[in-house]
Amino acid sequence: MNDQETCTACKQDKKWRDDFPIEWEGDNYVSRREMVKFLTLGSLFLAVANWLMAFAPRFLRRGSHNRQLLGLSDDLRRNGSALFRYPTAKDLCIAVRTSEGKLVAYSQVCTHLSCAVIYDKTEQSLFCPCHNGRFNLEQGAPIAGPPTRPLPRIRLEESDGRIYVTEREA
Amino acid sequence: MSTRQQGTVLFTGILFLVATTVVIQLWLLTVSMEALLSGAMRTLLPAAAASSVLLFVNAGLLRYVFRFDRQIRSSK
Repeated sequence: MNDQETCTACKQDKKWRDDFPIEWEGDNYVSRREMVKFLTLGSLFLAVANWLMAFAPRFLRRGSHNRQLLGLSDDLRRNGSALFRYPTAKDLCIAVRTSEGKLVAYSQVCTHLSCAVIYDKTEQSLFCPCHNGRFNLEQGAPIAGPPTRPLPRIRLEESDGRIYVTEREA
Repeated sequence: MSTRQQGTVLFTGILFLVATTVVIQLWLLTVSMEALLSGAMRTLLPAAAASSVLLFVNAGLLRYVFRFDRQIRSSK
């Protein structure tokens, strides 16, 4: 009886009641409610991040458009390749004239682990010797090995017996 | 079972549901990142739209939780 009276008295004590407003049995209930609130806030951040990513390509400056002389057309024979740097001296690129005479160019940096790709005449593809990755010449798309992303394409223009580099695609 | 106990069970269920949708949103974000890097821009808008739908689902569940909570407090 005494204990009960003491407990009633302690319930009336407002000071500690303000500090600990949640009863023991309601503790789980409140923590779950707070967790749902926290997760929904996280959900909001994730949705915002997704939208930012969706509109990122519109705001990012992608590619380069400086026109640069690569060399003479005669220098790059069928089934041959040439290395050049574009748009800066740090960006290695490779130009290939296929056996059909088509001129293509890609970044030389493998999209797997940034090794330099080389032209494989026998397989008619770009080969990464580090992990046996392969890219086709038509689109620079990965066809074998660990790479999953295509090589960035470099646009070339051939006029008056000269080859010009015009654009680097993202 | 008291209303508060029922609420705890209900909130646990809602918590799992919200946690699952957040994991799906995380997956959508990683897919978007991969698509952005590989230049597959077509994937970005549907992924963002799907993420928003999941956000609305979560917001709806949270609103339900708050309403339920208010109901319990007012009935006390």
